[in-house]
Amino acid sequence: MPLLSEEIKEQVKKQLADLSGPVRLVMFTQEFECEFCAETRQLVEEIAQLSGQLSAEIYNFVTDEDKADELGIDKIPAIAVIGAEDYGVRFYGIPSGYEFASLLHAVKLVAQGEPELSEETTKVLAEVNQPAHFQVFVTPTCPYCPSAVMLAHQMAVASPMVRADMVEAQEFPHLAIKYQVMGVPRTVINETVHIEGAAPEPMVVEKLQEALESTELSDD
Amino acid sequence: MLDFKLTEHDRKPQSDADAVKADSVYDLIILGGGPAGLTAAIYAGRARVETLVLAGSLPGGQPANTDVVDNYPGFPEGIGGPELAQRFQNQAERFGAQIKMDSATGVDFSTQPFTIHTHGATYRARTVIVATGAVPRRLGVPGESKFFGRGVSTCATCDGFFYEGKTVVVVGGGDSAIIESLFLTRFARQVIVLHRRDELRATQINRERAFANPKIRFVWDTVVEEILGDQTVNGVRVRNVKTGETSVIKTDGVFVYVGMEPKTEIFADQLELDGQGYVVTDHRQRTNVSGVFAAGDVQDPLYRQVVVAASSGAIAAMEVEKLLGEYSP
Repeated sequence: MPLLSEEIKEQVKKQLADLSGPVRLVMFTQEFECEFCAETRQLVEEIAQLSGQLSAEIYNFVTDEDKADELGIDKIPAIAVIGAEDYGVRFYGIPSGYEFASLLHAVKLVAQGEPELSEETTKVLAEVNQPAHFQVFVTPTCPYCPSAVMLAHQMAVASPMVRADMVEAQEFPHLAIKYQVMGVPRTVINETVHIEGAAPEPMVVEKLQEALESTELSDD
Repeated sequence: MLDFKLTEHDRKPQSDADAVKADSVYDLIILGGGPAGLTAAIYAGRARVETLVLAGSLPGGQPANTDVVDNYPGFPEGIGGPELAQRFQNQAERFGAQIKMDSATGVDFSTQPFTIHTHGATYRARTVIVATGAVPRRLGVPGESKFFGRGVSTCATCDGFFYEGKTVVVVGGGDSAIIESLFLTRFARQVIVLHRRDELRATQINRERAFANPKIRFVWDTVVEEILGDQTVNGVRVRNVKTGETSVIKTDGVFVYVGMEPKTEIFADQLELDGQGYVVTDHRQRTNVSGVFAAGDVQDPLYRQVVVAASSGAIAAMEVEKLLGEYSP
């Protein structure tokens, strides 16, 4: 039984028709104690059929530990969306519901390898010289969440120092508790700075700078 | 049950990003990508009016955040709000409208061509349709901003999951408040509806469903004075409007559904607004500025229906076509 209906498949094909480069969907799974691993794998394999530029690679989180380490994968189900290079675009938990749009956006984004951010944002991101980690907590029923995820992924593509995860809160309740997630989207930057809601681009940039400054201070 | 939604969230129009002309003058710029704005775009596109839609951050407007739309004609089984929104958008694009995920941050309607500023760009247009819609009204009480995202929410479908087995308060008595209360009973142990009157404004069918639900309790004639908490919400201080008595109700979350307010801040010194902030229009959707029209919830304090918004968008676009014809020699 396929996850995607024929109608959705046709629309996805259309959206992915002009991918400018190859994209690998690198998926990590295991066969037990992972509620949505099987479905996430199936989703990745179904999508990979919809464009000649797309390929699916499936790894076992336990037995392919080296590969997981190489890509910084620390929980499953995980998808690393990789274009000409690995920009640090990740999905933890199944990108269903509204997050399906985030996954397609990420595919197009890494294929193109060029973020669509304002000049000011690009300038700030070019100067980032220490690691920044965005974790965007979502639920699949949240219509506002994809814009927060997409913006974080754009920033990951814009800077080699930035990586960005979608984290589906219902599949990782311990992280939802750790980061006090009671509403989505909630973006956590470098463990220290939080953003509630789908914030506009300039505000996210400000919060990123705040996170980098506090990281610098704690290093001293 | 997993579903996969194809809402178009692209940060630039899917058609051709580079086609957005920052320097030249559009025939028409539509501010807002809900039913009013997209219907206007359909009509303008068919009239071969060169049109740019600045659709904001949530394309499709309020229907994109609505589970099911049951009263839009032509869909006898009802239709998912996001799907309806997507269909509006597909139809507008079919007739040539450019749709951009951007929002106006300022406008100048005092000279022709009109100027529209966004975060990253400036656009000019000979005519404008304001269809920026309405946003949820806040309570405006202490604690509301502080605890937003930490117990205060305006989106039950987004955040209901976090209240599994907990107690939540819903503030409001209209259809949104009741529909969302019913939704929250899937997760919460108890849903307490606080309403400032002694009867619900919601339609009969929703009232009946709410009264029949054992998880929902009603507290009447009551307003919220403060949202209380430490790291997260742990209660609300309320006042009975009839007796004046105040008390504290313990809760883990507060969902606010106290109606909508029009998104008109950036038009305050540009267009005539009524006492509640709605754009004042005549029956041809004209504002007090020639060449600027308004459609949808931004100028409709009364009905706020998808079908009404769509029809006002159609009227505005037909008026734009007529006016552009008069401008041209």
